[in-house]
Amino acid sequence: MFKKILFATTSSAICNDASNAAIELAKKHNSKLYIFHALGFPTRGFGSHVVDFKTGEHEYYSPEYVSRIKGEIEKTYAAQLKELDNYTIETLAGVPHTEILRLARKEEVDLIVMGPHTKEDKGALLYRSMLGSTMQGVTQKARCPVMIVSCPVPKEKLEFKNIVFGTDFSKLSDAAFIFAYDLAKERGSMLYLFHALDITPGIGAAIFGQNEIDKCLYGIKDRIKETYVSKMEGFDNYNIRTWEGIPYMEIVKFARRKEADLIVMAHHSKEKDPDKAIIGSTMEQVVMRANCPVVSVNRQV
Amino acid sequence: MAEEAKTQEEKPQDKRPLVSRVPVKDKEMLDLLLADRGVTYYEEMKKFPVDTEAFKKTLDASCKSRIRTWLKICAHCGMCADTCFFYLANDRDPKQVPSYKIQSTLGEIVKRNGDVDTDFMINCMDTAWGKCTCCNRCGMYCPHGIDMGVMFGYTRGLCFSQGFVPHEMKIGSGMHWIFNAQMDVTVEDYVETCEWMVEENEEYYPGLTIPVDKVGADIMYVVNAREPKHYPQDLAVAAILFHLAGESWTVPSKGWEGTSLAMFAGDWACCKQQVENVYAAMERLKVKRYVGTECGHQHRATITEGPYWAGRKSGDPPVPGLHYVEWVLEALETGKLKLDPAKKIKEPCTLQDPCNYVRNHGLTDVTRKIMSYIAEDFREMSPNREHNFCCGGGGGMNGIGRYRKERNIGLKVKRDQILATGTKFVVSACHNCWDAIRDLEEVYKIGIKWSFLKPILLEMVIVPDHLKPKEEEEGANE
Repeated sequence: MFKKILFATTSSAICNDASNAAIELAKKHNSKLYIFHALGFPTRGFGSHVVDFKTGEHEYYSPEYVSRIKGEIEKTYAAQLKELDNYTIETLAGVPHTEILRLARKEEVDLIVMGPHTKEDKGALLYRSMLGSTMQGVTQKARCPVMIVSCPVPKEKLEFKNIVFGTDFSKLSDAAFIFAYDLAKERGSMLYLFHALDITPGIGAAIFGQNEIDKCLYGIKDRIKETYVSKMEGFDNYNIRTWEGIPYMEIVKFARRKEADLIVMAHHSKEKDPDKAIIGSTMEQVVMRANCPVVSVNRQV
Repeated sequence: MAEEAKTQEEKPQDKRPLVSRVPVKDKEMLDLLLADRGVTYYEEMKKFPVDTEAFKKTLDASCKSRIRTWLKICAHCGMCADTCFFYLANDRDPKQVPSYKIQSTLGEIVKRNGDVDTDFMINCMDTAWGKCTCCNRCGMYCPHGIDMGVMFGYTRGLCFSQGFVPHEMKIGSGMHWIFNAQMDVTVEDYVETCEWMVEENEEYYPGLTIPVDKVGADIMYVVNAREPKHYPQDLAVAAILFHLAGESWTVPSKGWEGTSLAMFAGDWACCKQQVENVYAAMERLKVKRYVGTECGHQHRATITEGPYWAGRKSGDPPVPGLHYVEWVLEALETGKLKLDPAKKIKEPCTLQDPCNYVRNHGLTDVTRKIMSYIAEDFREMSPNREHNFCCGGGGGMNGIGRYRKERNIGLKVKRDQILATGTKFVVSACHNCWDAIRDLEEVYKIGIKWSFLKPILLEMVIVPDHLKPKEEEEGANE
């Protein structure tokens, strides 16, 4: 499934969890791994200087600088890369998400792996809007699934034995389902088809009684069967779960309870204006709170 | 010449000199220059001799009555002093008075008929690129109509012909020679980027295309190489807006780049070949009009000055040339593009007038009319319109490492202009101005935002019903 994996890195400690996951995945799947680092932003237009992302210093964008940075990346990941033959390290100056997308498109990669943000402060994860703009830019436009890794992932969890597919029945969720289903089939995983009925209280919002909620949940179960189970030919290692609550909270809770190895969701669902669909707020919250990698799907693959 | 030969002999055989009187036309030389930080380049320059014989010939052939008269009739009245932002930003240093700057460089060259030395030429270079952005503001205030900006443009050409040109400018014109673009973006790269941008956006804008080499289109759209290189979304937004406006448009494969670092570098031959590429595309595709992206010097190079470089007697390009702001206004006034008035910018905002298409091409009212469509509280800078100061990064200044300190001092004038408006948002429909304003924020941290027009328009534009994507089935939660 993952013949080509693109690991986009800041080449700093903040990407360690993502690098471990990307390299392990490449080993497991015999994938070609592209390690990509946008090494600086070309602030001077046509000038030859770049602002180094790591140091913030102005650097001269010369072949020497490029090879120095490549060397540093190679050194950073040397121990992990030992058992991996098929990898390449790519660097260039540019707007990171643009260059990540350009490379992903050029090499027709099957998966992009990256960390959630470029800020060193882990505490920032607790707050909204702290996702790095690079990750937002990539998930917004990527044609392949994007795996966001924001916590340490033990090797065995990368077998993806427990996959939670969170749906809101949007068109993009159909695309996310296909990815989750294909992966579950390939890995022989348990696939949880999960929906959380949104009962977030709001001004003027109807307050449901438990009976109404239960009724709704039954209806949703049927809808899951009709929408997804009907497409699973002979695959019976699945489980349908419908909970009520605040969707992101319920998905995260459910994933924890089932010790999920992976959460798969559509990038955004209701927002049709692409510029506003930076990343669905449910997705955003899930990425930040989940204790396993999260895959964002934005296109029918 | 003998001296130069000796210098070259002393070098290892496998190392080509970085400084030379000829433009960079091969990739190997370009790579050598790119690999150099400018250190070796400027060290070499200190020993690089002036070819005085060739200099005399160049002067004879190119220094005509206008320049000679201007140099002679300058009364040294000093009226130009206050017009120059470098003079103002440098505590009114007399050495920054435009007339002094030109008399002490070009004036001396003409007086001595090219009999000058290396140190003199390095000073010329440092003045022509490091103390002047060719914004032409001084020319507006000179009682004799002497335009020091024009003369510095000419001086740059003389410096280039002798090999005394800033490192990045030498590279810039080399890029144009090799790639027909200011950056290493090939035709294949460009076309590929167009395809990519369509793929990224067609789902949201069904029917979106970027027609490449479509013969007979109404509009040929030409960009700045920075867009495909670093900001391909800009190209995507341009395509979306043309699409929503229902325009018949195309982008050329060959001739897609409208800018000219060759103009900033003073590489006259390169200016000619660069603009002829664009004109050839206009003729090949038989388009009705040209629209260039949000770039000031692109308009100057292709529409204002280009026709003369290409030897066009009419002084016009082969088809009428519009700056992007002209197309936007036309689309707004004719109703091709409709904006949602509720989405107008609410916070106070100001507008940067780019020298190249405002002072030097008279598009003063166009941007103001656009502002009336997009902003609720538009506040003018002072001075403004054709009197506006250069952003501080024009004429190649933004890109030259050697003059970074000087550039940053010069930015103070724009900083104070923006601060005086009391706004925190600057609309800038020019790449160079956009860069300078961004750098200004980086250096002085005055807490401003800045934007091109395209992203603002995309935010506000009303998508006609027939161009909207089909509604998907609503989710269970709705």
